[in-house]
Amino acid sequence: MLGVENLTVRYGAHTALEGATVRFEAGQFSAVIGPNGAGKSTLLKVLAGLLPDPQGCVRFDPGHTPRQCVSYVPQQQTLDWAFPVTVWDVAMMGRTGRLGWLRWAGRADRQKVASALEETGVYDLRHRHIGALSGGQRQRVLLARMLAREGHLLLLDEPLTGVDPATQEGLMALLRRQADRGRAVVMVTHDLDQARRWCDHLVLVNRRVIADGTPDEVYTPHNIEATFSVSHLGHTHAEA
Amino acid sequence: MEWLTDPLQFDFFVRALAAVVIVSVLCALVGAWVVLRGLSYIGDAMSHAVLPGLVGALLAGGNLILGALVAAVLTALGIGAVGQRSGLKQDSAIGIVFVGMFALGVVMLSRAPTFSTDLSTFLIGNPLGVTPADLWSALGVTALVALILGAFHKELLLASFDPTEARAIGLPVGRLTHLLLVVIGLVVVLTVQLVGTTLSVSLLVTSSAAARLLARSLKKMMLLAAGLGILGGVVGLYLSYSLDTAAGATIVLVNTAVFVLALLFRRRE
Repeated sequence: MLGVENLTVRYGAHTALEGATVRFEAGQFSAVIGPNGAGKSTLLKVLAGLLPDPQGCVRFDPGHTPRQCVSYVPQQQTLDWAFPVTVWDVAMMGRTGRLGWLRWAGRADRQKVASALEETGVYDLRHRHIGALSGGQRQRVLLARMLAREGHLLLLDEPLTGVDPATQEGLMALLRRQADRGRAVVMVTHDLDQARRWCDHLVLVNRRVIADGTPDEVYTPHNIEATFSVSHLGHTHAEA
Repeated sequence: MEWLTDPLQFDFFVRALAAVVIVSVLCALVGAWVVLRGLSYIGDAMSHAVLPGLVGALLAGGNLILGALVAAVLTALGIGAVGQRSGLKQDSAIGIVFVGMFALGVVMLSRAPTFSTDLSTFLIGNPLGVTPADLWSALGVTALVALILGAFHKELLLASFDPTEARAIGLPVGRLTHLLLVVIGLVVVLTVQLVGTTLSVSLLVTSSAAARLLARSLKKMMLLAAGLGILGGVVGLYLSYSLDTAAGATIVLVNTAVFVLALLFRRRE
């Protein structure tokens, strides 16, 4: 569905990502995994079209115009949770791209937002101020916005951060369902265990793509060491 | 009840009441965005930055409002361009452009043969000096601003709450900011001339900030800001009449008191 070929991204003298080639397919739940500063979020931003003119290719398969099909969920801490919007308002933002300029939300849009909120389990909170919710509930609202957008390619930057383990399970199950419905789901995460349990495609990144394939193919001691500079038992080279 | 009805026998008082009501609604529409996007400094800055436009219009014998509008639009676009290209925060961009424009106005003024009293009236403003024509133009601008902000509401909301997602779906976030700045410029030019700089900034910032403390949604914030602005305006005008104090400053003090009350009774969720 979407891929990057020989992608290099530099911020001034710093190289965030070099020579990355990877493909994401419809119906696949992919996790991009790596340590801090590995270029994971950079890869996600390139896929979302947020970094202008990266070196290399970003290819969408025919029939998928990027702007129409991408839905991007940013890291929670990048948003102002004191902003005066309700849960319903945030979910309704997902319809902005679909509606287009100078058009108001109609009954069909409201129904889509309501079913997105129901699917993520926060419909009953729809009149609440977004700032009054817990971290897990906020993440569910952002996922409802993503569902209301009806994108084919769902990009999520660290969706599990600041979310308790029980809620994490629910979020992962929800994302798995989206992939099973034929959407391409790409998630950036630090959580290797959750990714192994729920995803069918792992991409290990540390400024370059270290490994790319099914969890069984990718999760090897050699790849983990090359990605995190630690053994799969959690010891660093220095400790070993 | 005489304290309530006595002032109403004066046409200037009734016009002042109408002016603060209209300007409160107008400032509430724009003030919400001003407060939410951290542009509170812009009201004061814009009221000074229109000086070169005013002086230019004066020297050319043209319309002062038109001159001020041109300067306001140039200032708004200048702030947007400096902010985006330099990567500086918006308050720095506002500071850089506004002092530059104000200094240009002062230099132009020093080349003007005489200082016009028209100019000082325009810069200072006075709610008690409002004419019927001023009220009609204020109504017209309010309708225009409501139309523009209503038309782009959902885009402005997404670009303000989550600019990254807004860019991801292809919204021109930079141009939306420019549009907002131009609308703010338009509102400041009108309100400064009508009610003065201090009251204009107070309605734009203080009432909207008080409303933000109490409201859970943007729509409620705008409605509440308009309501608080009208309340402050009416109470302030009556107080200034009975205490014989400056009308604009008295309204500002009432608005400030309302903000303090909102701070004390804010909703904590």
